[in-house]
Amino acid sequence: MTPAVSYPLNKVLTAVARQHAMKPALTDEDLAGHTLSDAERAALKTGDIDALYRLGANPYLIRRVFRARFTI
Amino acid sequence: MAEIIAAALTSHAPLITGKPDIARPEQRERLYAGFHELGRRLAAARPELIVMFVNDHLQNFPYSNLPAFCIGLADDYDAPSAGGGKFMRIPPRKLRGDRDVAMALLEAGLDAGFDFAYSYEIESWDELSVPLHFLTPNGDVPIVPIYTNCAAPPLPRLRRCHEMGAFVGAFLRGHARVRRVALVASGGISHWVGTPETGRINPEWDQRVLDHIARADIEPLLTLTHAEIEREGGNGGQEIRNWVALLGAVPGWKGEPLAYEPVAEWITGCATVWVHP
Repeated sequence: MTPAVSYPLNKVLTAVARQHAMKPALTDEDLAGHTLSDAERAALKTGDIDALYRLGANPYLIRRVFRARFTI
Repeated sequence: MAEIIAAALTSHAPLITGKPDIARPEQRERLYAGFHELGRRLAAARPELIVMFVNDHLQNFPYSNLPAFCIGLADDYDAPSAGGGKFMRIPPRKLRGDRDVAMALLEAGLDAGFDFAYSYEIESWDELSVPLHFLTPNGDVPIVPIYTNCAAPPLPRLRRCHEMGAFVGAFLRGHARVRRVALVASGGISHWVGTPETGRINPEWDQRVLDHIARADIEPLLTLTHAEIEREGGNGGQEIRNWVALLGAVPGWKGEPLAYEPVAEWITGCATVWVHP
């Protein structure tokens, strides 16, 4: 069974990852032009890595962008 | 006709080179020794070309375009790029590709029913950069990378990856221009990356995988499902597709594990394996 995927979330995270940028949280500027649900927007802006995973962000992209949020 | 004169399996993780100091020194040195021994054996085999079985991490293939299998047709590969190099602490460099061989492989695949995608530009992350940092420090051997989707499910089945590797092996043995070809696959073994279980490693599962490879008893690996690997080996464990593909190219060859270290600080069950007849 394929895990749930949020294309909008992964599109934002891919754009940030391709800049080799790592951030504790994304800003309104990062999210400009992207169509996201309220929950997705909140998770990105707070760097809530568990919520991002539940909402369908690819874990490799979560790790790439929000590395500072991981304890290991 | 070409001969496959060497084959190796390795893990890849950006922290292997990016943060060597955080690992326990004895683990780091044992793993590095395994990498260096692979490098020594590879150099002794004098390959003209290295065919790499690897996977992207959504660096090149995003959710708008995700091939199951993709052959690199680039003139050269950033391995790493300046951006990736900073994180992996590997000086940026470009590795030559071999478009003639890659295109011939692509065409042969399409004729035979392996509908590879192809790409003229690939920015490597750790899948090429980390193993080749050790294996070809001079960067003097051209590469042909074959990317398998191991990171963005749904993923190709392991049996299909094995069949793809078998096709690649048969193609290479019938290829007239290059005579001495080495195969390298990178990825795995168990690791959980970016999930709520990030940092988990499963040495028992890793050992089972290595034992099967050491005995050339591959069939049990080919029946592993995505869910089984996810449970036992984590999302990073899905990268054993690359190993299974390589092993398809050298049927009957056995793996000789040179190093295995479950390095918690690098969040990866790390191995180096020489594969031989």
